[in-house]
Amino acid sequence: MKNRILAFIFAAAVLAVPALAQTAQLPAPPPVEKDLAARASSVDEITLSKNMLAAAAALFMNSKDKDEAATSQLVERLDGIYVRDYEFAKEGQFSIEQIEQLRKYFETSEWTPIVRDRDHTTGESSDIMVKMVNGKSSGLFILDVEPKEISIVLILGPVGMEELGKLKNLAWLGIMEGTHHTGPDNGK
Amino acid sequence: MDFEPMDDFDRKLKRLFERWPAPPDLKRRLMENRRRRKERPQWFALPFAARVAVSLCLLAGVFAALYGGIAANQAEQRRKGEEARRQVLLALRITNHALDHMNRQLAAHNRARQE
Repeated sequence: MKNRILAFIFAAAVLAVPALAQTAQLPAPPPVEKDLAARASSVDEITLSKNMLAAAAALFMNSKDKDEAATSQLVERLDGIYVRDYEFAKEGQFSIEQIEQLRKYFETSEWTPIVRDRDHTTGESSDIMVKMVNGKSSGLFILDVEPKEISIVLILGPVGMEELGKLKNLAWLGIMEGTHHTGPDNGK
Repeated sequence: MDFEPMDDFDRKLKRLFERWPAPPDLKRRLMENRRRRKERPQWFALPFAARVAVSLCLLAGVFAALYGGIAANQAEQRRKGEEARRQVLLALRITNHALDHMNRQLAAHNRARQE
């Protein structure tokens, strides 16, 4: 009987760990993140939880800038914004395998790719994925790779790209609403 | 035989009425107690106006502490909000940079395809 109870507790713990990990999603696998940060000449790491976003939304709301007021409405509904930007002093500081690992991290049934563009001559690539839950978008993942820069953006929460596109500087996302674009190698 | 309890009562009563000499230092102790009580500051010994003033001072102190605490908390919240706002703007700038690059790349590929 005691063994059965122990086995049950162990099984519950084993099931709970991935569940917890799922709720606290990171924009990149930690080992890859660590390695890229160590090689980069400049790193921007932004981790904004729901609480932090609420605090920022309160300030945006008081702003006279129309765009900041719109940002407030959007930001207060989000669950998190995670951004990693790595700039490298020279080319070849990261491997294609690392980029693949970053993509694979989001290749789950929940995430739908809407932009997938690859340039094999320069090594540049772009990916936009949208997280769909019950037919509603609840997350956005952007991975942009340049020869000397990697940008990873993860926005979690009920957010439409049309809404994001209304923000100053992000107007391009508004155009992407409802479109699926694949690059020259057709999503290879 | 029936009066025995009464005798006992009489005996106890008699003992209570007996005169006992006071302890030798009783007077000294009493005087010392009195002196000590006089030296101790007594709240009710203060005049009414002074008592009101002290109460008001204490109340003002409590309010000042409360106000200070609230103000410090608000300042901390504001500092956190400012930091979060700065980070949101940086996040939007990086996102914009990534999207801009993506847009240029897609446009270039479209042009190449058309040519």
